[in-house]
Amino acid sequence: MLNKYQIKGMFKSTFLHIILMSVAATCLFPLFWMLRCSLMTNQTVFVDKSFFPHELHFMNYFQAWTEGNFGIYFINSIIYTTSVVVGIVVVSSLAAYAFSRLEFPGKKVFFYMFVLAMMIPLPGSFVALFDLMNIIGLVNTRIGYILCMINVGLSMSILLLKTFFDKMPPDLEDAARIDGCGRLRIWWNVALPLARPALAVIIIFNSLNVWNEYILAQLLLSDKNLMPLQRGLMVFQGSHSVDYPLLMAGLTIAAIPIIAVYLFMQKHIIKGLSSGAVVG
Amino acid sequence: MKKLLKGFLICSFLVLIGSGLSCSGKAADPNTVTLWHWMNDRHAAIEELASRYEEQTGIKVKVELFAPPDAYTQRIIASAQSRVLPDIYGILDKKEIFASFIENGFVANLTEEFAKDNNAWEKSLFAKAVDVNRFKPNNPQNIEPGIYGVPIDVTNIQMLYNKKLLEKAGIKTPPKTFDEFLAAGEALKRVGITGFVAGWGELWMADCFASNYAFNIMGEDKIMATYRGEVPYTDPDWVKVFGVFKTLSDKGILIEGIVTKPNKDAEQDFALQRAAFSFNGSWCVNVYHNMNPDLDYGAMLPPAMNSKFPLKIWGGGGSSFVVNNHTPNKEKAIAFLKWLTGHEQQAYLSESTKNLPANREALSSIPKILSQFASAMDDTTHPTIWKFNELPLVVENFDKGIQSIIIGEKTPEQVAAEVQAVKEREIEKAKKRKR
Repeated sequence: MLNKYQIKGMFKSTFLHIILMSVAATCLFPLFWMLRCSLMTNQTVFVDKSFFPHELHFMNYFQAWTEGNFGIYFINSIIYTTSVVVGIVVVSSLAAYAFSRLEFPGKKVFFYMFVLAMMIPLPGSFVALFDLMNIIGLVNTRIGYILCMINVGLSMSILLLKTFFDKMPPDLEDAARIDGCGRLRIWWNVALPLARPALAVIIIFNSLNVWNEYILAQLLLSDKNLMPLQRGLMVFQGSHSVDYPLLMAGLTIAAIPIIAVYLFMQKHIIKGLSSGAVVG
Repeated sequence: MKKLLKGFLICSFLVLIGSGLSCSGKAADPNTVTLWHWMNDRHAAIEELASRYEEQTGIKVKVELFAPPDAYTQRIIASAQSRVLPDIYGILDKKEIFASFIENGFVANLTEEFAKDNNAWEKSLFAKAVDVNRFKPNNPQNIEPGIYGVPIDVTNIQMLYNKKLLEKAGIKTPPKTFDEFLAAGEALKRVGITGFVAGWGELWMADCFASNYAFNIMGEDKIMATYRGEVPYTDPDWVKVFGVFKTLSDKGILIEGIVTKPNKDAEQDFALQRAAFSFNGSWCVNVYHNMNPDLDYGAMLPPAMNSKFPLKIWGGGGSSFVVNNHTPNKEKAIAFLKWLTGHEQQAYLSESTKNLPANREALSSIPKILSQFASAMDDTTHPTIWKFNELPLVVENFDKGIQSIIIGEKTPEQVAAEVQAVKEREIEKAKKRKR
């Protein structure tokens, strides 16, 4: 026989689970729909209203991969994402540590400049960026695009990490200093390992951003062989018509790595979010 | 872990440096004409034509795609400011932006080229398509009169009919007059087929349909006089235009929910044979082919209400290219565009991309449905080429009024009076501003 507390607990838990299940369903349903449409044909996608398609066309994936020229774009996207994320992590953690722990002239001005940069939407800086890259000869180069993307992700990452470093107890640094560590060693051996949850958030946010970025790539790159994965997806979208099954197959291919990164870093992200990594 | 991280950092750094070096410092080839465009669905066909051109002339045309159009526009503006525009490109913005490109010397004046050999190049193209790139004398932008761009395709908006569904209802030929159209709608209703679908959830589509009938009912002069404020919307002819929608609605010819239907949904309805008639642009050929390749349909002008004035449909130039005025490859770029708009190339482009060719001579070599669309090019008009345009708020009320008539909320007379009231208010406001 259940007592009233157990019944109350059961109701509470059931209610909570129903809410969580509905939220999960709304998040997962678009992914399921994408997968479903990727296995249909252009004709059945508009007619077949069934939950599971009657005929499965796995060849769509092969066709999307070859027609979208995904081979080269996939490698490019991996290069861009890893380089940009590594660049952002290194530069932003160094900068955030300096803003949090060092005293230097113009510290506040520089910090607020980074914060203000977040308010400028990316398209607003397109012309200036293109002009700058053109002057220094980095238009249509991988390094030009990577540098721009690092620049795009810096502000947010610095803000997140500074908030995290601000909360770090100074005693830890003092102990490291007594052990003979210099500033860089403290950053590397003490600050960075402690900031792992915040770094996880930065890695996933920026990976997503770079992996899905396309407009800046279109602006800076002309050579087809330098384009990221999103370029492949454009092949299936005409001015007035869209090849939905191939587009969905392409989207599924494009989504797999980012889902894998998310799943791999899930634990750290939750920790990062719950420990206040994103309070800034 | 530390070693792994260090290794990763070093590798990433090397990749960065290597990748940067791999592509930087490439000098442009003076024997290569570079073309930038935004048309995803035409990229393969343009590339194919470029390779044919290279085979024939030995001149390489490098075709580079920047899509979607928003990204392309950003690229063009940024490149113009940095003075690194390609030899051939397109300007997707309004005529004012086009004019500013010309003013700043980024676009070559092609008038002389078009005039060569007794205007042979110009004559081979649809006049409406060339007009898109033409600046007439005393143009508001103060641009030197002339032709500044080359159209590669055209577009127009017509009615479509499903041959099988008409046959099912016993209709042998598509209706030519409005009365025949109403009779066809009745016949279709009797066999349970919806008569007409259109994306009138998008106001401009309903506006376009109304404009077609306004031209047919009262002619261009009276429409322009209305826009100038000399003829009121309460004039019987305008009430008749609104009445077209009431009649269609009362007779039950329109598909349910037509006033909220986006054009994409309307395209689906027609492609999946849920309605016998539709109102759509020539781009629909491509859309219907993707959705239902077996769809058997034809294009026709909206059935006329009277024969006093010609029924004008909306249409004009589709996509156009311009030549960079600063490029040393100007002659080569013009030569390529001349070749691209030639009969055979236009037929290939039209057939493979299912767009209407800009070259009128190509009509005989393209699929029937495209040729049906293109043959109506001489009956086209467009607000951008009218001498006067209606005030935006009046247009908005006009279009919303049409929706109210369809759902039975208002009568044509009520809408006409309301639109006229808005018009008078707007004229008054303009007068006050002038004072």
